[in-house]
Amino acid sequence: MTAVIESLTDTWTLVGTVRRRAMASPDGVAMRAKRLGIWRGITWADYADHVDLVGHALLSLGIEAGDRVAIHSENRPEWLFADLGTNAVRGITVGLYPTNPATEVAYLLADSGARILIAEDQEQIDKALLVESQCPTLEHIIYLDPRGVATIDNPKLMGWEDFLDRGRAHRETDPRALEHLAHEAKPTDIVTLVYTSGTTGPPKGAMLSNANVEFASGVIVDGGGLYDPPPNPGDVILSYLPLCHVAERAVTTWTNAVSGAVVHFAESIDTVTLNIREVQPTLFFAVPRIWEKLKAAVEVRMAGASRIKKLNYVVWMKVGQGIADSMLAHGGRHTLWSRIRYSVGYVFLYRSMRERLGLRRVRAAASAAAPISPEVLYFFFTMGVVINELYGMTENSAVATSNRAGRIKLGTVGEAHPGVEVVLAEGTGEILTRHPGTFAGYWGKPEATAEAIDADGWLHTGDVGEWVGDTHLKIVDRIKDIIITAGGKNISPSEIENALKASPFIREALVIGDQRAYLTALVGIEEDTVGQWARAKRIPYTTYRDLSEREEVLKLVQGIIAKVNEATARVENIRKFRMLTKALDHEDGELTATQKIKRSALTTAFAPLIDDMYSGADRLAGGDQSDVIVVTPVEA
Amino acid sequence: MTNATKESLHTTRGRPQLFTSYSREMAIFNTKVKRNWAIVGILALVVLPFFLQRDMVALITTVLIFAIGGIGLNLLTGYAGQISLGQAFFMGVGAYTAATLGGEAKGDVIGLGLDMVIWLPLAGLVPALVALVLAPLAARVRGLYLAILTLGLVFIGEHIFKEAKPITGGAGVGRAPAEPVFLGFDLFSNQTILGYRIDRFTIFYIACLVIFLLLAFAARNLVRSRFVRSFSAVRDRDVAAEVMGVSLLKTKTLAFTISSFYAGISGALLSIVIGRISPETWNIFLSIDFLAVVFIGGLATITGSIMGAIFVVMLPKLVNTLTVFIPGAGGVGDGSLLNVFELQSIIFGLLIILFLILEPRGLYGLWLRLRNYFKAWPFSY
Repeated sequence: MTAVIESLTDTWTLVGTVRRRAMASPDGVAMRAKRLGIWRGITWADYADHVDLVGHALLSLGIEAGDRVAIHSENRPEWLFADLGTNAVRGITVGLYPTNPATEVAYLLADSGARILIAEDQEQIDKALLVESQCPTLEHIIYLDPRGVATIDNPKLMGWEDFLDRGRAHRETDPRALEHLAHEAKPTDIVTLVYTSGTTGPPKGAMLSNANVEFASGVIVDGGGLYDPPPNPGDVILSYLPLCHVAERAVTTWTNAVSGAVVHFAESIDTVTLNIREVQPTLFFAVPRIWEKLKAAVEVRMAGASRIKKLNYVVWMKVGQGIADSMLAHGGRHTLWSRIRYSVGYVFLYRSMRERLGLRRVRAAASAAAPISPEVLYFFFTMGVVINELYGMTENSAVATSNRAGRIKLGTVGEAHPGVEVVLAEGTGEILTRHPGTFAGYWGKPEATAEAIDADGWLHTGDVGEWVGDTHLKIVDRIKDIIITAGGKNISPSEIENALKASPFIREALVIGDQRAYLTALVGIEEDTVGQWARAKRIPYTTYRDLSEREEVLKLVQGIIAKVNEATARVENIRKFRMLTKALDHEDGELTATQKIKRSALTTAFAPLIDDMYSGADRLAGGDQSDVIVVTPVEA
Repeated sequence: MTNATKESLHTTRGRPQLFTSYSREMAIFNTKVKRNWAIVGILALVVLPFFLQRDMVALITTVLIFAIGGIGLNLLTGYAGQISLGQAFFMGVGAYTAATLGGEAKGDVIGLGLDMVIWLPLAGLVPALVALVLAPLAARVRGLYLAILTLGLVFIGEHIFKEAKPITGGAGVGRAPAEPVFLGFDLFSNQTILGYRIDRFTIFYIACLVIFLLLAFAARNLVRSRFVRSFSAVRDRDVAAEVMGVSLLKTKTLAFTISSFYAGISGALLSIVIGRISPETWNIFLSIDFLAVVFIGGLATITGSIMGAIFVVMLPKLVNTLTVFIPGAGGVGDGSLLNVFELQSIIFGLLIILFLILEPRGLYGLWLRLRNYFKAWPFSY
């Protein structure tokens, strides 16, 4: 190992931060990854060394400042090595979602003009090779996992170990190369392109600079950026959401580097529920979908529990609601009386439940990236897991507002961080933010950039918000998604959709009604929970579609909709619904990589369902407020 | 990889399932809770005799000795799947080895009067050696045939014990057991230690406890070794095990040898508790008692063998107390339909049948169920 490069320049970089940690505590554990059953530690010195090796290897392959390196992999230590290694040579990292299908891979590689792709395994290599001809700039493909790759004959391929060996050789010949580059680094250097999820059009690559990341990292360590109270080296993080998303990058890479909290990499997305129980993180960030799934898992398992356990659950959840109410009244803090109740309930339910969910040691939790139903947050409050909902987006380095410990208001995304200006635009109510974390622009799309950032430096978020009590911001919806009914009423569909999705049985909901007389919904069931429910009720079914079109299931959905309708004003009531005929999927272009629905794609794909409701034909499986429509299969 | 820094310790503490090395995952007590409970349990066992009456101390000493033999048999029957009725024979060999080496010579009966340091290990090693010689025979058969073969061993053994008068004293006469003198310190006489007078039963109990703990930990350690994993492979499917490269002959021989070592030690200690040993002691019923320990305690568990020993040794005491409440039962020779011993045999038989059918993992299985009920809390699965 060579000596760690000390960054003597004034420019703050993530690489420099990691190097400083490596000097201060070389043997401290920076991250752990589970391999062959054991959580293997990687020290700060290992981390910094690998970053340097990747940097040297990239130099040997001719990468220069401003060149793009794409990473197409699940979360693992190599992701971080490659990311910061690229930054160490002043290159730009482009993250791809592991679920991106080949067509999107082609778009992202071509749009970013990546010269090198770091692909995880054969699956990702296959995608890249399939669209090789569409990516003229791509020169090398580095693969992390050699399984199944040996038979592929392509001059562009190179194994990770060979890649690192190149780095070692380059370091021998030019040991000071990275040091020079570190001195040349500038605050305006772009470090990464984060592609937006693209619910409306093709994804756009948001450019984040050193200065952006510095500001965002500062907000993270000063508290409130992600977690409040702020993270420290004794904290434990589980990394499992896609790292190419700005939120997970902040949670994993940035938080780890700036606070020293130890990152644990889940084995794969399938083992997250097991891994989280092993790791028992102290800081936990999840998107609404994960929180919803956790809640559904608890409810389904309780439904199958023995009587005594059920009683125990019902009693203590009831008590928990009292605790949650009291905490909400005090901004998320315990009072003496609520703490006493919690301590007793801890013995009977909360401790074991949190342990089983992997949330036992969580001291700060957060939800962001999409709107979440207050009902879901409330559920976790009852077992003492206080989730801070926060708000930010790729374009402002995930930094805007958050709920702070002791000042939580349920249903809002909290208060602006120090140094962050948040205003609502006159008339439209659009949220505008301004701070040093505002992105440098969209890659190769100056017009789009101009639309997003105005002359005064305000970022137009595209979200409509309103103030709650002057301090807390509440997100109404995306501007483009707001429904204006034929009667002229403005309605936020996502609020109703989230209320529906709070049920463990509903996975997807799409509220329709723009320019229409009344609201309707397309509903997709959660196959696992509804399947379990159906088996318990001895309802036979074959496929997803068969299950969702069963009379009993239609009635179940009707009941859930009726309950949501009760809580909303008459104009916001869902009058009719139809069942989605398939589970929505990223591959089919119905969901984005972050599992957000693409409204326009859905309304086109399921146009017959929508027509069926508004034309009054009522022939397809679904229902209205009083009846359900059961379709009897036509004998072929 | 450096895991020793303060920082990293901090991030693994309180996370029992976060294993950062294989050695930690494989540890005997892989969680702190288990280790702490074991320490509490051992401390309780050490102070226990000071709160009990003499006859109860003798009884729990017997429990420990049965547990040693039970663990041995469980290695053979539970882990390696070889049903053996030969336990009593190997215990007899152990007892007579000990008596010959450590007992006093009297008349025609040989006794070398050696120290316990010599006779105790040999009381284990000699039966182990005998098993090593006999194992190739036993390894050729399995299941019921093995049971019959080992049954034959008990009868042959009993006959030899009756005839070998210089060693055993002969039928109906018997001989005195080995003297438990450990490096000149008599473990079976009242002693005054640090001003406290401790009676001989307690001292012998403590001695047995130490031996028991050593052997139980050795067994616990052994069952996570590759040897005992090969035992389980042979038990679950001998053909498959052999295909995977596990030698049946070697494995079975090893199982017999280790098991007989435990049996020998157990026999030697038991003979001291009994006081005077006759060849009839080592008969088929003693073997069945030990099978009961294994089956009631639970197959293939060390902890279970201990539970089984407690149960089997304590049950007669319990039955004795309960006899009053069972109609038709009474003492020996008082004209009642069943005497205590008959009742006891019936209960044992019933229990073995019930456990085999309902809970093959025995008392340990019941414990597991209870534990899993609370482990799954607040869910059911």
